[in-house]
Amino acid sequence: MNFGDLLAGAPAAIFGIGYQDPTAVGVYCLILLLVFVVMGFRVVVAAVIVGLIGLVELIGFNAAAGSIGQIPYSKSVSFVLGLLPMFILIGFLAFHAGMTRQLFHAAKVWVGWVPGGLAVATVFSAAGFAAVSGASVATAAVFARVAIPEMLENGYNKRLAAGVVAAGGTLASLIPPSAILVIYAIIVEESVGALLLAGFLPGAFSALIYGIIIVVWARFYPDAGPPVGGFSWGERMRALPGLMPILIVIVIIISAVYGGWATPTEAGALGAFVVLLVALSQGMRWAQLRAALMETSKLVVVIFSLIWGVLIFGRFLGFSGLPESFANWILSFDANPYLILFSILMGYVVLGMFLDAIGLLLLTLPVVYPAVMALNGGPDVAAADSAFGLSGPQASIWFGIIVVKMAEVCLVTPPIGLNCFVVHSVRPDIPLSDVFRGIALFFVADVLTIALLIVFPQIITWLPDLMRG
Amino acid sequence: SASPAAAQNVEGPKVFWKLSTWGNPRAFTVGVEHLSERLKEETGGNFDLRIFYGEQLSKSRENLDGLKVNAFEAAMFCNFYHPGKNPALMVMTMPFLPIPDFDTAARVRLGLYEHPILVAEMEQWNAMYFNSSHLPQYEFMGGGEAPIELSQWDGLRVRAGGGIGLAMEKLGAVRQSMPATEVYTAMQRGTIDAASFPHTYAHAAYKIEEVADWYTSNLAPGTADCPIVFNKTAFEALPSQYQDLLMSLRDEVTEAYEAAYAAADEKNLPNFKKNLTEIVYTDAQRAAFEEAAGQTVWSEWVEANQDGFDAQAVLDAVLALAAGDS
Amino acid sequence: MAKLSSALGEVEDWLNIVAAVTIFVVMLGTVISIVTRIVWTPIPGYLDVSELSIAIFAFLGVAYAQRHGAHIRMEMVIGAVPERLRWLVEAIGSLAALALVLLLLRYSWDFFVFAWENGDSTVDYEIPTWPAKLLVPVAFAIWALRLTIESIGWLRLALFGGEPVAVPMPESAEDQARREAQME
Ligand code: NA
Ligand code: NA
Repeated sequence: MNFGDLLAGAPAAIFGIGYQDPTAVGVYCLILLLVFVVMGFRVVVAAVIVGLIGLVELIGFNAAAGSIGQIPYSKSVSFVLGLLPMFILIGFLAFHAGMTRQLFHAAKVWVGWVPGGLAVATVFSAAGFAAVSGASVATAAVFARVAIPEMLENGYNKRLAAGVVAAGGTLASLIPPSAILVIYAIIVEESVGALLLAGFLPGAFSALIYGIIIVVWARFYPDAGPPVGGFSWGERMRALPGLMPILIVIVIIISAVYGGWATPTEAGALGAFVVLLVALSQGMRWAQLRAALMETSKLVVVIFSLIWGVLIFGRFLGFSGLPESFANWILSFDANPYLILFSILMGYVVLGMFLDAIGLLLLTLPVVYPAVMALNGGPDVAAADSAFGLSGPQASIWFGIIVVKMAEVCLVTPPIGLNCFVVHSVRPDIPLSDVFRGIALFFVADVLTIALLIVFPQIITWLPDLMRG
Repeated sequence: SASPAAAQNVEGPKVFWKLSTWGNPRAFTVGVEHLSERLKEETGGNFDLRIFYGEQLSKSRENLDGLKVNAFEAAMFCNFYHPGKNPALMVMTMPFLPIPDFDTAARVRLGLYEHPILVAEMEQWNAMYFNSSHLPQYEFMGGGEAPIELSQWDGLRVRAGGGIGLAMEKLGAVRQSMPATEVYTAMQRGTIDAASFPHTYAHAAYKIEEVADWYTSNLAPGTADCPIVFNKTAFEALPSQYQDLLMSLRDEVTEAYEAAYAAADEKNLPNFKKNLTEIVYTDAQRAAFEEAAGQTVWSEWVEANQDGFDAQAVLDAVLALAAGDS
Repeated sequence: MAKLSSALGEVEDWLNIVAAVTIFVVMLGTVISIVTRIVWTPIPGYLDVSELSIAIFAFLGVAYAQRHGAHIRMEMVIGAVPERLRWLVEAIGSLAALALVLLLLRYSWDFFVFAWENGDSTVDYEIPTWPAKLLVPVAFAIWALRLTIESIGWLRLALFGGEPVAVPMPESAEDQARREAQME
């Protein structure tokens, strides 16, 4: 380090490399970032410090600090990001709207008769609640309260009951509204609407796979999840009106994005408004509304800070050209592209042990996304000429859904599996080890789902393709 | 503009310049690519002008701010991205200026860049004009019934920025704003009726012709300006032979743009003509457009800006340059 | 110290309330703007204003979130080391964050000054952007104050031990889960 040069604002004063080898600067800074994150620095702080160090090395202190000072505003104040608070607000309001019980009841009277019926009902009602909740952990928390007692009363295996709730919660991140899909869209500059549409079917598909695997399991171990039957058609019909608000929100979001009568941001606002009306009609108090708003606002500022913090690091990566070099490096392997994709996903499994889902995406995508796109054949490649049989825009969405699904799997795997922790803390009588064991079944389902999404990408691309015409 | 495969002509030190732009390589970036190529040739690789695409160095709307803090040495920007940052250059968005062809447009733009008011405006951002990207005239492309009469623009929902938007409002159209990338879907779904883009190049780039029914070919409601600018500090720090070299390459850059847009027209026009209804307005109709929406918008613009700078002088300069008497 | 912290806390609470109310108002305003657009005509400039309003909820609550220890981080390692070392690492982290936020404050102020002196506006309705840009250094100033208090708090703990004052106690993932579980 050369302090004289550093104080004079000259580039290359830290590592003595500068633009002689910007890629090396990029690699050093990436390592430094990992060190800071592991040390427990707030991710935003770690990302900005390292972004600053890298930029100082490349363009000198004054230019680096000047650029960095502009990014928080210029990256945050962007129309599409107005969607985030709306989606987060929907989720917080939904908790006060009492929708969960009605949903679970409806699912129970309709599908309770199958083997493992209550567990299947939990999956389907969690999928329904996902349509008004943007966050996995919160969804798991509500269902731990609503579904676990009923399952245990009916003699369900503890591990199955806990596992299905923890896993069912992850559906919230695929089925719109989903904060994490919006974040993906922002980072890779993809259409938010297309991603939200794309998440819908894979979310439903995941729920279906969970359902099937429960039924199969319960056939072999009937004591673990006995069916609950004896509901009349009258009861079934009476359960339906409770689903209306959720149906309305789904219709608003899908039809707005698909039909183009409103932007995704507007659809989010409308969805939040509908849920607010439902919550008010269910007797939500001022104190609850205030709490929902304060929580929303706190989470919003946290997510915005992460976004601009990581984008400061991303700006440095842009100056360094590292993403391009990484993509070229990936391309230099003469291996089967599916094998390379598999290795990348394994990398996510490892990182996912330590990082929260949003942090995981934000920190990796600036480097990994261009590489995956290049692996497929570039952003403008035609489906016929591509490695994965997907055009550039299709691949961009396809990878988004897969990587979000990966991040969600990390929410239920040890050592840090937030969804499992949350179930355990609602039901301290179920040991954490039992929750993690209960997850095993659904982990198998998730691996199966991801494999199927890779082999049959149409599940992801079909809806957005319809929209793009 | 075939570049001669010459050996090194200009001696000098190693220089590394970063140019900030957005999007992928396309007709809009042909000029700076040509510049980069020629600099390398003329200096034997010593003057390295690297183009950073895709907003890697700055958001497209913040390129002037990036020059101000010396984050990079050159950039492209568009005047209508931030009217407040370049109020005088907004004169180029005035509707129905008498600019009928590429050569006139080039003369007006390059002449305007030397006007003291515009020079001072860029100096605030530590920037200096080098050249324009010479965007062609805008035309409208739209869906539904073709507005062959002036009165049919009344009530149409149009995407048009700056002075063009104001002009269309005078005709009763409703301005709708959205990012260029959203226009395709919006027109397909019928949430907008028409969109103005640099003709023909940008309509084709956003594939608007796939979802449109008609286009105007001689409305020429106005244009915008997206200049190539240098960081003033960086330029002044260059050895004089490099400064001279840059300026001597200016005409080649202009020619590169002219060729690129002509090539785009050659490719796109047959498609447009085959698949869409072409609207050709008569001279009388155009005169009516200009009267309803041209000069009124000009004088409103002068009035709105006269506190900030001598807007009338800027407008007069444009008109004089267009008439060729300067 | 505790007094100072709680006085600052009140300012932070108020800023977060402003942010929360803004989110609510933008939600209602957007619904109204959709309705007027469908039955009549778009509200001129609504898009521009709602875009600028993002600056309010993107920044004003940033110190509030810091006080609640809400900014995301990885706690696995820091949660496993002996307490004294942990306080020391927390102190280093806070001081680094403080230095950084001061720098961001200084240079986001410049960005505001460019917009204020040279002019900058939204694309369509040419609304000045400087008020929104000014919110960034303002929010960062409060954040810097909060980080100053926290840094002192951690340093005190690391050097002298004793009862934690004016610092967000690190929350294990289990604690975080417990808090989320109780949110309903
Ligand atoms: Na969801
Ligand atoms: Na995990």
